[in-house]
Amino acid sequence: MHSILQLFIRHGGLLTLVVVEVFCFYLISTYNDAQGEISATTWMQYSGTVLGWKTDLYDYVGLKDENTRLRIENARLQSQLANSRMIEVPTLDTVRRQVRADTLERKIIRPEYVLISGRVVGNTISGRNNWMIINRGKRDGVQPNTGVITRSGVAGVVRYVSDNFAIAMSVLHPQTKISAAVKGYEYFGSLVWDGDDPQYLTLTDIPYHLPVKPRDTIQISNYSLLFPEGHTVGLVDTAYRVQGSSFLYIRVKPTQTPASVNDVYVVTNRYAPELNDLQQAIKKDE
Amino acid sequence: MNSVNFFPNLWRFAGLVLVQAIVLEEASLNTDGYCNVLLYPLFILFLPITLPVPSAVLLGFLVGLAVDFLTGTIGVNAAAGAFSGYARAIILHRFATKGGYSGKEPVASPVYFGWRWFLSVAGVFFAVHIFWYFAMSYFTPMYLLGKIIPQTILSWVLTMPVVFIFTRLFYPKI
Repeated sequence: MHSILQLFIRHGGLLTLVVVEVFCFYLISTYNDAQGEISATTWMQYSGTVLGWKTDLYDYVGLKDENTRLRIENARLQSQLANSRMIEVPTLDTVRRQVRADTLERKIIRPEYVLISGRVVGNTISGRNNWMIINRGKRDGVQPNTGVITRSGVAGVVRYVSDNFAIAMSVLHPQTKISAAVKGYEYFGSLVWDGDDPQYLTLTDIPYHLPVKPRDTIQISNYSLLFPEGHTVGLVDTAYRVQGSSFLYIRVKPTQTPASVNDVYVVTNRYAPELNDLQQAIKKDE
Repeated sequence: MNSVNFFPNLWRFAGLVLVQAIVLEEASLNTDGYCNVLLYPLFILFLPITLPVPSAVLLGFLVGLAVDFLTGTIGVNAAAGAFSGYARAIILHRFATKGGYSGKEPVASPVYFGWRWFLSVAGVFFAVHIFWYFAMSYFTPMYLLGKIIPQTILSWVLTMPVVFIFTRLFYPKI
């Protein structure tokens, strides 16, 4: 404080001059048309450069927000993609055929999936029953028994939901069963984890006569109520017929490594409760 | 400033601003503003020698602003006034007589320092003021050689005789 005072005593005149001149510059450019125009033009010339720096800085500081924004955008696009596979539009000759979401007759599109973007904040892979914690909960619209996917594959199934968090069974949980199919064939089976190697999953119930090869794509079957149909789950690692069985043993390498799950989307199938009710009705009949 | 020299300065302030705004502004308009006779800086020059620099800057700003309000060029004369308020201290320091200012000479007037000394100081002082006035008028260094400097020289040539006449007329002691 003392040194500031000293500075003012020594250079008070200069400081006053600078302050007054700056104020005068403001007055001149505000109240005089010609000078105002000149200063506006000059500002524009220099502000381009300065604004460039400013934008660079803001971009850098805003990377985190930008990332969040992109995740939300991704959720929207992923849900569009998920829904696009399930849109049926009646054409003039009453033949129903599948079209992409953004082509025809938007009004009769029935969106099937709602995707909520989130992050995995807790994850286990070494136990027998493995769980993940997701930083989205009831308040964000997450419900129990909904699927959790990532851009590249499947992460798990939500079981418990609190206000702000959800706990999901990882794919490395014996109770996680994913209805999956080998791409190109209509047969479907269950993708499960046999509890041994966290690197691989097993696809069951695929008949032995299918010529499944390594590197074939495993995707979500059209019977799944948890995950969007057609979403890639994994690649076939090995496939062979088990002696005395009519099914293939298919070892699947998941495209989303369970250990590195980070950004996820919680998938809510809007018709799942309705379909479950219908299935309950069948059970009553029996 | 104390009670002794407060009123002389106040009259100079009011008188010079009015003369500037009413008489000299008309003369300037006759030349389309190409050359201006700027007399009101005499107020700044005749402020007490011992006045602290910040006060001189602020008073220069005020007298300029007063002229600005009467001539509709808000900020131009105020900027020039503040600038020459600061320049005055440097010029007076440069032209200080041997042993500096004793305090017996309250103002930089020819009464105490003679005409030769006064006209040198006033010459430099008015050159600085007029230059900054035109610089603020054009507000861009682009016109420095084409307009600002020629108009400064012309206006300085026209201003100095008026300064001489006014100083001779009033011959200020305080």
